[in-house]
Amino acid sequence: MSGGLLWILVAIGLAVVVIRRRSVAVALVTAQALVLVGFALYDAKDAGDVVAAGALAVRAVALAALFLLLVSRTRELRPVHARVPPLVRAVAAIAFALALTWLVPTLGLDSRNGERAVLALVAFGIVTAATRRATLFHVLGIVLVENGLALAALELPGGGSLTIEVGVAVDLMLIALVAGVFHERIFAEFGTGDSAALRTLRD
Amino acid sequence: MTSREQLAWAIVAIPTIVAVLVVLTPRRAVTAVAVTGAFVTAGLALALGVLELRALGDPVVGNWIVVDAAGALLVSVVAVVGLATVLVSPAYLAGADSSLGPAHRQQHTYFTALYAFWAALLAVPLVGNLGGAWLLIEATTATSALLVGFSGKARSLEAAWKYLILTSLGLGVALLGIVALVAGIPGGGIGALSWRALGTYSSGQQSALVAYILLVAGLAAKIGWAPVHNWLPDAHTEAPPPVSALLSAALLPVVLLVAWRSEHALAPVIGIRAGQDVLIFFGLVSLAVAIPFLWRSLPWKRLLAYSSLEHMGVIALGIGFGTPLALAGVAVHIAAHAVAKAVGFYAATPLLEHEPRAAERSVTGIARTYPALGGVMGLSLGALAGLPPSPLFLSEVLIVAGGFQAGRSWPAAATALLLALGFLGLAHALLETTVGKARRRGGRHRRESRALAMLGGISLALLLALSALALWLPGSDLVGALLAGIT
Repeated sequence: MSGGLLWILVAIGLAVVVIRRRSVAVALVTAQALVLVGFALYDAKDAGDVVAAGALAVRAVALAALFLLLVSRTRELRPVHARVPPLVRAVAAIAFALALTWLVPTLGLDSRNGERAVLALVAFGIVTAATRRATLFHVLGIVLVENGLALAALELPGGGSLTIEVGVAVDLMLIALVAGVFHERIFAEFGTGDSAALRTLRD
Repeated sequence: MTSREQLAWAIVAIPTIVAVLVVLTPRRAVTAVAVTGAFVTAGLALALGVLELRALGDPVVGNWIVVDAAGALLVSVVAVVGLATVLVSPAYLAGADSSLGPAHRQQHTYFTALYAFWAALLAVPLVGNLGGAWLLIEATTATSALLVGFSGKARSLEAAWKYLILTSLGLGVALLGIVALVAGIPGGGIGALSWRALGTYSSGQQSALVAYILLVAGLAAKIGWAPVHNWLPDAHTEAPPPVSALLSAALLPVVLLVAWRSEHALAPVIGIRAGQDVLIFFGLVSLAVAIPFLWRSLPWKRLLAYSSLEHMGVIALGIGFGTPLALAGVAVHIAAHAVAKAVGFYAATPLLEHEPRAAERSVTGIARTYPALGGVMGLSLGALAGLPPSPLFLSEVLIVAGGFQAGRSWPAAATALLLALGFLGLAHALLETTVGKARRRGGRHRRESRALAMLGGISLALLLALSALALWLPGSDLVGALLAGIT
């Protein structure tokens, strides 16, 4: 994958870390997944690769539909502010990504830049889930991590396994569906999708 | 296809079919279908265990199916705990006043999710490749999260949310490790992820070690190893008691088996000692984090949850030591922990009816007000503490001895010290819980007492049988088969 495309993927990931609105973040992770679909189709060598790209596309569109439905059904009365300001989140995400790049010498992918992009997306996903209070952002953090892993599968020297790639897409949709069920129940129970309300269980 | 392969497919197919059947079954027949399906599933799984015992040293190894000694042990444990969980679930459902789904479909929702979870749990030890194992573990997350949050109450929603998000992120990290492994295995595709192919990794020791650490660190979030265990006490506490039993006694060791298989398969590349070091690290940290909580006055299910953290640490140490003695201890520990912990969680249903405040505070003097319940709770806690002749005492002795046998004197000594501290904490809890000062008067529980006496009797018999097994196991062919793995 070209350096420009990798930069676009990483920039979109960083935007998810700092963006405030849930609907914009959903649009960003969907756009990121669709960029990956485009590259997967461009790089496809056989029917298996096309099927894997198709599974990624179905996953991207299905998740976007699910998340936008959740956003529309769980409108917040007041904005849910993150625990950490946007600039600090961005700095933390970049620092974590650089630390991961330093700690993980090599993943064995096609290019070192591809590896760095994968690690950056994994780091951004974890930081998103750790620093945001809105429950939907936790799920978007997982999707960011999975987008990074989809990029890693595209950058594998010998290609990935179609069964596993389709399985991962199905599993992610299942997890997102269950998360959607809980997101709605949490909203109904607490009147907000703010995870700050979820702090009664501690020792 | 051999009879073991056919059985392996059937063991996964039957609970999957029952999960679908339950949806279509009228309400009055749901329990009958669930119980029948549980006996069939458990019967097939135990038959596979017996067949594997008769064919030790000759594992079935393919790209999709593996039947070996460790897998058969775990399948048998998951089957027994699953059967017992289905049998005690109607008692829980009878007293459940709320649920995640519509009230009139409560049983359907519960048993469908339970069977889907059970099917995935039974499949993990039998799957022939790391990628398939990852997919199945992720599937257990989705199904079991629904069960953790089944009551739909605020606290259970919180616990389910934490569980879903933390374990999914952890599994994302594990998948990164898997991708890194695939990158270094010639051939690519699904064959590259079969357990035997992992040993052919050819991109260098350092990158293999990085991939292995990512994989195990990610799985640790699901196993509940410290320091990535935060979801465990909450999920075990807030899940319905029968589900807590399945989470602790079956889910955690099943995922641990995947870490064990990975360590074994990658040992030729990363070095035996490096792979074991990672497991010993997680084992010691888990023990050290769990012990202070075992000394505190905690609600019953929360105490059992921290005990799970301790015992998963002990199993990690046994696998990390990797000697015949330690692996004999691991085999006994997995089975005995499952029995003792499942019984403890099953006792929580009558406990919460008897003393509803037990959900939020520690209980004392239960044997004075409800002797049958106090007896079962005492049996569970005594066994988990490692009170002789508990099989967990014998397995812990074997694991510590195995550590010294492996030449790992410092970790073995630290293990012994931490286990002694854990024993003291749980022994104190045992005395307080059973014969401490009672906070309320006793009531009439004649019918429930009979059921509890039966549960206690069966569990005691199983635990004593496991104690006898612990004395016989070292030096047996079963340990030889565990050592050999699937290579």
